[in-house]
Amino acid sequence: MKKWLLASAASLLATGAVQAEDAKIGVIVGFTGPIESLAPAMAASAELALSEVNDSGEFLEGVTLVPVRADSTCIDAAAATAAAERLVTTDGVVAIMGADCSGVTGAVLSNVAMPNGVPMVSPSATSPALSSVEDNGLFFRTAPSDARQGEVLADILTERGITSVAVTYTNNDYGKGFADSFDAAFQAVGGSITLTAPHEDGKGDYSAEIGALASAGGEVLVVLGYSDAGGKGIIQAALDSGAFDTFAMGDGMYSDALLADLGNDIDGSFGSIPWAEGDGATAFSELATAAGVTAESSYTRESYDAAALIALAMMKGGEPSSAAVAANLLDVANAPGEPILPGELGKAMEIIADGGEVDYVGATNVELVGAGEAAGSYRYYEIKDGAFSTVSFK
Amino acid sequence: MDLLNALVALANFVLIPALAYGSQLALGALGVTLIYAILRFSNFAHGDTMAIGTMVTIFVTWGLQALGIGLGPLPTALLAIPFGILGAAALLLLTDRMVYRFYRAQKAKPVILVIVSMGVMFVYNGITRFIIGPDDQSFADGERFLISARDFKAWSGLDEGLALKSTQAITVVVAVLVVALLFWFLNHTRTGKSMRAYSDNEELALLSGINPETVVRVTWVIVAALAVVAGTLYGLDKSYKPFTYFQLLLPIFASAIVGGIGSPVGAIAGGFVIAFSEVLFTYAWKKVLGYLLPASLAPDGLVQLMGTDYKFAVSFVILIIVLLFRPTGLFRGKSI
Amino acid sequence: MRALGLFALVAALILGTGVLQSWNSALIILNMGLVSAIMSLGVNLQWGLAGLFNVGVMGFVALGGLAVVLTSVAPVPAAWAAGGGRAIAALILGAAVITLAALAWRGLAHRRRGLAVAAILLVGLVAFRWVLDPATAAIESVDPAATGYLGGLGLPVLLAWPVGGLLAAGVAWMIGKTALGLRSDYLAIATLGIAEIIIAVLKNEDWLARGVKNVIGLPRPLPYEIDLQQTPGFAERAAGMGLDVTTASTLYVKVGYSLLFAAVLVAVLVLAQLALKSPWGRMMRAIRDNEEAAEAMGKDVTARHLQVFILGSVLCGIAGAMMTTLDGQLTPSSYQPLRYTFLIWVMVIVGGSGNNLGAVLGGFLIWFLWVQVEPMGQWLMGLLTAGMADDSAIRNHLLDSVQHMRLLTMGVILLLVLRFAPRGLLPEK
Repeated sequence: MKKWLLASAASLLATGAVQAEDAKIGVIVGFTGPIESLAPAMAASAELALSEVNDSGEFLEGVTLVPVRADSTCIDAAAATAAAERLVTTDGVVAIMGADCSGVTGAVLSNVAMPNGVPMVSPSATSPALSSVEDNGLFFRTAPSDARQGEVLADILTERGITSVAVTYTNNDYGKGFADSFDAAFQAVGGSITLTAPHEDGKGDYSAEIGALASAGGEVLVVLGYSDAGGKGIIQAALDSGAFDTFAMGDGMYSDALLADLGNDIDGSFGSIPWAEGDGATAFSELATAAGVTAESSYTRESYDAAALIALAMMKGGEPSSAAVAANLLDVANAPGEPILPGELGKAMEIIADGGEVDYVGATNVELVGAGEAAGSYRYYEIKDGAFSTVSFK
Repeated sequence: MDLLNALVALANFVLIPALAYGSQLALGALGVTLIYAILRFSNFAHGDTMAIGTMVTIFVTWGLQALGIGLGPLPTALLAIPFGILGAAALLLLTDRMVYRFYRAQKAKPVILVIVSMGVMFVYNGITRFIIGPDDQSFADGERFLISARDFKAWSGLDEGLALKSTQAITVVVAVLVVALLFWFLNHTRTGKSMRAYSDNEELALLSGINPETVVRVTWVIVAALAVVAGTLYGLDKSYKPFTYFQLLLPIFASAIVGGIGSPVGAIAGGFVIAFSEVLFTYAWKKVLGYLLPASLAPDGLVQLMGTDYKFAVSFVILIIVLLFRPTGLFRGKSI
Repeated sequence: MRALGLFALVAALILGTGVLQSWNSALIILNMGLVSAIMSLGVNLQWGLAGLFNVGVMGFVALGGLAVVLTSVAPVPAAWAAGGGRAIAALILGAAVITLAALAWRGLAHRRRGLAVAAILLVGLVAFRWVLDPATAAIESVDPAATGYLGGLGLPVLLAWPVGGLLAAGVAWMIGKTALGLRSDYLAIATLGIAEIIIAVLKNEDWLARGVKNVIGLPRPLPYEIDLQQTPGFAERAAGMGLDVTTASTLYVKVGYSLLFAAVLVAVLVLAQLALKSPWGRMMRAIRDNEEAAEAMGKDVTARHLQVFILGSVLCGIAGAMMTTLDGQLTPSSYQPLRYTFLIWVMVIVGGSGNNLGAVLGGFLIWFLWVQVEPMGQWLMGLLTAGMADDSAIRNHLLDSVQHMRLLTMGVILLLVLRFAPRGLLPEK
C-alpha cells in the first residue's frame, strides 16, 4: 500500500512538477434528480472552502484549487460513472468532493476512483454498505453512516414513548439500507414495526402503499425517502386520506421545500438530520451567509468540510496530488493538533507549512473513525408552526 | 359500529382512490381504443400525448392564476383545459399530416405504424422535457377537500376517517360527463355514426361516401380532448411529471386490452378493472378484517395477497391472463 | 460497398472522438457500441428474420446482468446456512406447481380445467410463499449492509456471458410458450409488461441479488488498473509509449474489453450470417412474408417462431451480461425501457431490419449519437444563444435543457429513416 502510494506519488511528481498551476477538484453532486434542491447549496459550500484556501495565499506555492462540477443525478449509476470518468480522464481532477447519494457513490468509487487512484470525500453518502466496501484507502465521508442514524431515530421514538410504527422507504439502496438499520435498532429497543413497505420515486399515485400502511397501523409513519420525490408524495397521500397525522423522517426529508409545500399540515412531525452545533457550525453559518451561500440546508456543512479536508491533506502532503490527499486526510482530520474551525483554513495552512499538526474540527466536529467516516452528530428536530425547531442534538 | 368502521376504511383506502384512478385510466384507454378502432394501430405515443397536452394546460393555468382569474373553489386548470385540448389537437393533426398520413396512404402494416408511433413517442418525450423540464409541477388550486378525514371523524364519531378530495370528486364527475358526451356523439351525430361505420367496415364506409380523412381528423381531435382531460385530471389529483405519464402508458394499454381493444365500453370497464385490482390485490386486509371478525379471530398478519412492490405487476398479470384466455377482451373488441 | 462506406464513417466518428476528446471516451463509446450491436443483432433476428415484435428487450438484458451476479460473485456461506436450502426447495416447489398446472390444463376436460388450474395455482402460490418467506427473511438478515443475499457460484466472470444467454433462453421459452400465439401489437404489450415484471423481481427480491441495494465491485475478466500501475514492467512500457502510467492502465483495460467484446460480436455475426443464408433462414423469411402459405406447406410456424424468439433473446442476455461485466455493478433501478428497449429498436430500424450488418451498423451509429448528441447540442445551443444577453431567461433555459435533445433527436432520426429509407441504411438483400 505504502509502496504504491510512494511510487505513484513519485510518478505524479515527475509529470506534475513541470507545470505548477491549477489543481482541479471534482464536485460531483446531484444537480438533477431526487435531491436537486439540496445540491446547489452543497456545491456552493464546497467551493466556498476552496476559495477560502485560495484567498488565504498560504496554500502550496503557485497552486490554485479549481472546482469542476459534474452531475451525479443521485440515482443513475451509469450517468454518474460517465460524469466522473470525464472529470478524471478529461479534466484531470486530483480528488473528488462527492458523490452525494450512496448508490452512485459506490459506483463511482469502484469504477472510476479506484482504477485511477483518485480519492473521494463524500459529504452525504450515508449507506452502511460503504463502511465495508473495498476502497484501497481512497474513500472518506464526512457524513455518518445510516447504521448510526437508524439508532438515533429509534432513540427519538423511544424518547417520545412511541412503541409501534409503520415504515416506508424509497426503493433504492439508500432507503433500503436505512430501513434495515432502523428496523433492527427499533426492534432492539422493544419497538414493534407493523409493516415496512417501499415506495418508488416518481410515481404520482401512492394510494396502494398508503392503503397497506394504514391497514397495518402504527402510531406514526416513519418516512425514509426524499423530500423532492416519493417521500413528499407519501406524506401528502397519508395526510389526504387521514391515514397518519404524524411522521418521523430521515435525513433525506429535511428541506425547506417540504415545509413550503405541506406547511402547517405536518406540525408535530419530527426527524433526524446529520447536523452539528457549537463553534464550528456557527462559524460556518457566518462564513456562508457572508458569501451568500445557504447555510441552513442539508449537508452544506459536510460539503464544506469535505472540500477543506482535501485542501488540508494536500498541504500536509506538500503537493496537489491524489496520493497526498489519500495519505494525509485522516491525519489532518483527527487529533492531535491545533483545532481548526471554518474560516481558519489560512491559519491551518500556516501551521502545516511550519511543520505543525492540525486537527480539523470544521463545521461538523469532524472526527473520522473506522475506514475514514464521520462519527457524526444528529439534530433531532420537530416541526412547529411550519418551521423546523431543534429539540436536541444526539 | 364495527361494520361501519370497516366500510368506511374500505371506502377511504380502496373505493375512492380506485374510483378516481380508474376514471383516469378509463379516459386514457378510451383514447387508445379510439385510435385503434379508426386508425388500426396501438399508439405508443399516447402517454406522451397526455403529457404534452397537460403541459399546455399547466402553462395556461399559470397564466390565468397570474391574471387572478379563477373558478373559486374549483381548480383553475378546469378553465385551461380547452386551451390544452386546442394545443394537443393542433399537435396531433400536425403529426398526422407529417407522419401518419404517409403510411395510411401506403396502406402500411399496423405494426409499422406502431414503430412509427414509437418515434413520435421519442419526439413528444423530448419536446415535453425540453419545454417544461423533467420535474414535478404543481398547478392545483382551489378547495382541497370536499370532506376531510378529520372533519368526518368528528362528525360521525367513528374511529375511521373518510376523506374525499375535491380533485377526486371532480375526476369522477368530469369523466362521467366526457364519456356521456362521447357516447352521445358516437351514437347520435352524423360524424359519430360515420366514425362507427368506418371502424366496423372500412370498405363499406368508403363506398357509402364517407370521407376517410375527415373521420381520421375528427378522431385525432377527440383523442386530443380525451388525452388532455385524462392527463389534467391525473395531474390535479396526483402530480404532473412527464416520466409518470410515460409510465401510465402501460396500465392504460392493459385497460384497453382487458376491456377489448377497439370497444369504448370495454375501455371504461378495463380502466376500472385494472385500477381496482391494483388496489385490491395489494391492500392489507388486516384492519378491515379486524373490525369485521370477532377479536379472537382477528388476524395477526397483514392479510395481503401481494406486496405493494408488485402492485404494478398485477395489471400485467391480468393483461396476460386475458390475452391468453380471451384475447378479444371482456367486451369483445377487435381481435388482431 | 455502401456497407463499407458507412462502417468507415462510424470508425471515423469514433476515431474523431479519440482525437478531439480523449481516447478513453472513444473506447467507452466503442465498448458500449459493441454491446449494443449484439443486442441489436438479437432484435434483428426476431424482427428482421421472423417478424416477431419483442418490446421486452430490457428484461433479457437485465437477466444477463443477473447472470453475472449469480455466476461470478463468491457465495455467502452464512446466508446459505440461514436459508439457502429452503429457498431452493421453494423454487423447486414453484416450478412443480407450474408444471402441474400446465399438465392439468392439457389433461383435463375443457369445462373443468379453468377452475382446476386456478385452484392449483392459488394453493401453489400460498404454499410457495409459506416455504419461501421464512427463507428470504433469514437470508436477508445476514449482514444486510454488506451481503444479505445468497451470492453467486464464484466462477470466472467470463462464464457469466453464456450463463446470461441460458437464463434469457429459459425465460424466453416460458414467454414464447404462452405469448407467441399472439401477434404484433399484443405480443408487444405482453413483452413490455413481462420486462417490467422481471425488473420488479430484480428490484424487490433482495435474497437473489440484493435488489435495490445493488451489487457493486463485480469480478472482472481483466486486471485492475491500480494493479497494472504497480506492475514494474508496465510503467516502463507506458513511458516508452509516451503515456503516463494512469492513462496507460485505463486504456489497457478498455482495449482489453474491446477485444473481448469484438470477439463475441464477430462470432455472433458469423453465426447469424450463416443462419440467414441457410435453408433455415430462408424458411424463416418465408414464414415472415406469408405465414399462411408456409403453414400450408407443412412448416411448423409456432415451433419456428419459438426457436427464433429464444435465439434472439439469448443474444440480448449475453449482451446484458457483457454490459454488467463492463459496468462492474448490477443496479436494477437503472434499467429503463426507453434506453434498453426502444433505443435498441431505433438501432435495428435505422441500421436496416433483416440485414445483420445493418443491425450492427445501427448499434454503433445510434449509440454514438446517443452519447454525443448532448455535447453537440450544447455547442449548437451555445451558437444559437450567443446573441442573447447572459442573464436572459430563455438562454439559460435552453442551455439547461440540452440533455433532452437526446430523446428528440432519436425520435426524429427514427421517423426520418422510416419515411425516407424504410428498409434502413443497409437494406435487406
